[in-house]
Amino acid sequence: MARLRSTLPYDPRTDRIAEAGWLGAVGHSAIQWFLDADELIHTLSDAVLSYWAPGVAARRTVQRVIIAQIMYTGVQALSLVSAIAFLLGASIIIQTNLMAPADGELIGKILVAVVLRELAPLLTAIVVAGRSGTAMATELGNMKVNSEVLALSSLGIDPPRYIVLPRLVASIVSVLVLMIYFSVVAIFGAFVVAQLTANATWGSLYSGVSRGVLPFDLGLFLVKGIGLGAIVGWLCCHYGLQVKSSPTEVPQKASRAVVMSLLCGVVYSTFVTAMFYWIVGPPIH
Amino acid sequence: MGGPFEATPKNQLGLLARVPHNPPLVEPQASHSGAELGLVLERATFSYGDLWVLKDTDLHVPRGGALLVTGDNGVGKSTFLFLCAGLVPATTGRVLLDGRAPHVATPSDLVRNGVRRGVLFDSGGLLSNLSALNNVTLALRYHADVFGIDEREIERRARAALSELRVAQTDFHALPAHLSLGVRKRVSLARALVLDPNFVFFDDPDAGLDSATRKLVYDLLQRFRDDPKITMVIASNSRPLIERLSVETVELRHGYLLRKNSQTPSSLGPAG
Repeated sequence: MARLRSTLPYDPRTDRIAEAGWLGAVGHSAIQWFLDADELIHTLSDAVLSYWAPGVAARRTVQRVIIAQIMYTGVQALSLVSAIAFLLGASIIIQTNLMAPADGELIGKILVAVVLRELAPLLTAIVVAGRSGTAMATELGNMKVNSEVLALSSLGIDPPRYIVLPRLVASIVSVLVLMIYFSVVAIFGAFVVAQLTANATWGSLYSGVSRGVLPFDLGLFLVKGIGLGAIVGWLCCHYGLQVKSSPTEVPQKASRAVVMSLLCGVVYSTFVTAMFYWIVGPPIH
Repeated sequence: MGGPFEATPKNQLGLLARVPHNPPLVEPQASHSGAELGLVLERATFSYGDLWVLKDTDLHVPRGGALLVTGDNGVGKSTFLFLCAGLVPATTGRVLLDGRAPHVATPSDLVRNGVRRGVLFDSGGLLSNLSALNNVTLALRYHADVFGIDEREIERRARAALSELRVAQTDFHALPAHLSLGVRKRVSLARALVLDPNFVFFDDPDAGLDSATRKLVYDLLQRFRDDPKITMVIASNSRPLIERLSVETVELRHGYLLRKNSQTPSSLGPAG
């Protein structure tokens, strides 16, 4: 027979807290902000720490999910990235030709400065956030609404390890690889237009690109790629999992996830660029 | 404070421990501090902001025991069930399953310590991107090293569980969206059973079911009720279920658990 004890006589007045004045409202908002920030940090830290959690079979299961996520986030985005990158490369050359007669060397340097260092990382992150980030946040939101996250917990499956970690890893890997692909396709698109409009040769273009790429560009590329990928995966998972129980929250949180990913991505990209140039100094030709 | 899964403070040692390959499945003993087996709530409360679901409650359902919780719609029966199952953390106080405190972010720690939960959600709770069979095999694959089973055994157990619950073979590879509610609940039951749980938590188990499925569920619940190794908590207002099971029944009202036939929400002494 179950043992049961409930204390306290029932008094509905004890259910209500005193109405707060403006100072109380400010304090409440500040506390809520810190709680929200704590939850945001835990989304990332729980997922990262779960990588070292015990369970060989669990790790194998999660690896399969990671591969599936990379396929969706990275591989299936190739066609969209191809189109954007090619047209962007072409647009840059058209604009360059409008401003001044361009030769291959100058085109190459412009492509390095504009595409490789800035637009490739940022636009790739935007494509991944808009395409896969929305899907991530929506999927996780629906999982919350349908009690699927609770179901995973009931089966002894760690939600940070099974849900967040694969998407975080897939986002980082996909953004990095797609950035490289974006850069190559954009340069190819620029070359095609340059051939048609400026009679630039492949040799002069290649010379310009190779002269424009500096050793620190690899570091810049990696730091931006990993950071932007992590931001998209992290924020989209976090906002998706913030959905409580109402289906109407799902599109709201998905929208917020993408907006915050874009905003934080731009801030991060600008910050990294500034830090690199502050630390490394302006490139010397 | 915690993350989106409302994690309670984590046991960091649990994350760094190494599990030997294919260990035998360990039956839970009384914990090292001599805590009681079964479900224990210690001064547990739960609230959604100002809305109290449970107020300062001590509860012990011993191993092999069963408890049925009734209450008005919207009073928080499902939430109370999830609290008992350790799926949501108590606002204050704590919940123990065989002396172990569940952690929302690392539920696998319970399985590694021999505590296995079977939960039936009122809508099934199946993962919508996995087929019926894959829903059942998922937890077995995730804990294959803890249970010491290989892929062939995983497949065999999953198919056996689905067949026991009379899920048609043609439905094995169907997605949950393509299954009726009754079949989804059967698959969900199979998923819960396949882990050989020692705790079962059922939320409105017979709601929306046809008579054949309802009979299946009742037979299963009676089996659990009579099993001395399984502790069971059910949330339901179903009169046929209450009469069929004849287990101890309490009502959740205004945040308090009241024994059946209690007229007022007054304090109760410790029950024996």
